[in-house]
Amino acid sequence: MPDHRVILHLDMNAFFASVEQQANPELRGKAIAVVGGGGRTVITTSSYEARARGVKTGMAVWEGKRVCPELIVVVGDNRKYTYTSTRINEIFREFTPLVEAFSVDESWLDVTHSLSIFGSAETIAYRIKARILHQFGLRCSIGIAPNKLLAKLASDMKKPDGLTVIAPENVARILEPMPIQELCGIGKKMQRHLNMMSIYTCGELGRCEEGRLTRKFGIVGRRLKQMGQGIDESPVIPFGEEDAVKSVGHSRTLDRDIDDPAEIRRFLLQLSEMVGSRARRYGVSGKTIHLYVRYADFFSSWGKQTTLKSYINRSDEIYRAAISILNTVALEQPVRLLGVSISGLKHQADQLPLFEDERKKLWATQAMDTVNQRFGDMVVTLGSLLPDKESAGSHVIPPSWRPDGIKNIDII
Amino acid sequence: MTSGKSVRIAVLFEPGKKARPVWFELNRRQHRVQETTYHWQDCVGERQLLHYAVSDGDALYELVFDPADQSWTIHSQRTE
Repeated sequence: MPDHRVILHLDMNAFFASVEQQANPELRGKAIAVVGGGGRTVITTSSYEARARGVKTGMAVWEGKRVCPELIVVVGDNRKYTYTSTRINEIFREFTPLVEAFSVDESWLDVTHSLSIFGSAETIAYRIKARILHQFGLRCSIGIAPNKLLAKLASDMKKPDGLTVIAPENVARILEPMPIQELCGIGKKMQRHLNMMSIYTCGELGRCEEGRLTRKFGIVGRRLKQMGQGIDESPVIPFGEEDAVKSVGHSRTLDRDIDDPAEIRRFLLQLSEMVGSRARRYGVSGKTIHLYVRYADFFSSWGKQTTLKSYINRSDEIYRAAISILNTVALEQPVRLLGVSISGLKHQADQLPLFEDERKKLWATQAMDTVNQRFGDMVVTLGSLLPDKESAGSHVIPPSWRPDGIKNIDII
Repeated sequence: MTSGKSVRIAVLFEPGKKARPVWFELNRRQHRVQETTYHWQDCVGERQLLHYAVSDGDALYELVFDPADQSWTIHSQRTE
């Protein structure tokens, strides 16, 4: 048994694009870009062949085709990716029960206690790589290190199909010249703040006086110093044991920018129905309704919330609350993205409403949910949503997606 | 491209292996499956659907099996 933890971080290389290339042999070895459904044509991810030609995630398709004229655009299929990710996470669990899915294409494994069964961490890594390649034809990069922070850093060091080990005795040497933005958790904004303090490398961050960092960043300062030193005590948290989700929400980038109030209201109704339906499926209701709007210029946005006197989870109630927030704001530009969420959750109390009209609404909602659970989301929906029913679903795999379902729901 | 159209199909079920489409008929023409390139599943309500991406050597097709009514349909592959 080693005197330190042994953590693996697995990153599926260009996951969506690689799945599409496996599914369609014509696409293998070619520059492809995966886009979401609908009219928006932003590149979600691209193959390594496309990346080598300068295609980047977030580019518009026309930009991608400008830098790479032979770029093939594929409309992504989230069901294909989530199914594959679930099966891959099952492979991980054959080596250790301590598997934490960070996202649809990244997971951490704590194999400290599996070494006596399978041998070295490298052996486990090679076996996992072979299994994934054999079953799905996909490649992944694996990092092995004493903690999650360093394992993620290691997997990022060699792509595609890499295997990188950061041994405890090499941590200081590797981190000394490493740019701070390579660390998971240091985004562009934090990088800018640290650069203004003349901190550019992990070595400099690790040596920085803790007081200087805490004065600037509060309690995060201590954590930043530890990150610079390669210290990360956070455990690998398997599914079902992670921190509970505190809200239920949906957002949607619209197929085109809209400024017609009637159309905005219609999309809000659709989002409210999606949020309400999910909340009811989990048996929770919430008191605080949050509305998020992003404008057409992509960079301007606002979010506002309202807290109600009672807990709600019916779609029409969520919609009314969202509209009441929207009515307090004068929209400055056409709208690109809308988001609705409810928080302050508690387990739904099955109390029959006093008035008959309310009782009828409750029964209608329950009947609709029963049909939709049996035959699929939005099979029965509100009449005013019908013309756009085809595009009613969310096209984005939510951050809360996990191989075994959605994360825990927090209750109060 | 065809989407959600029922097809006549021959499938090989072998113990311990995934079902393997052998041929299917589309527009009165038989297409022999050269390769099953990918397989995945999803759920629509309580129905579990099995998807097979197959190639007949000329083109790629998505065949979908619905165990609830034992039906096979063919769906489109979208590239631009």
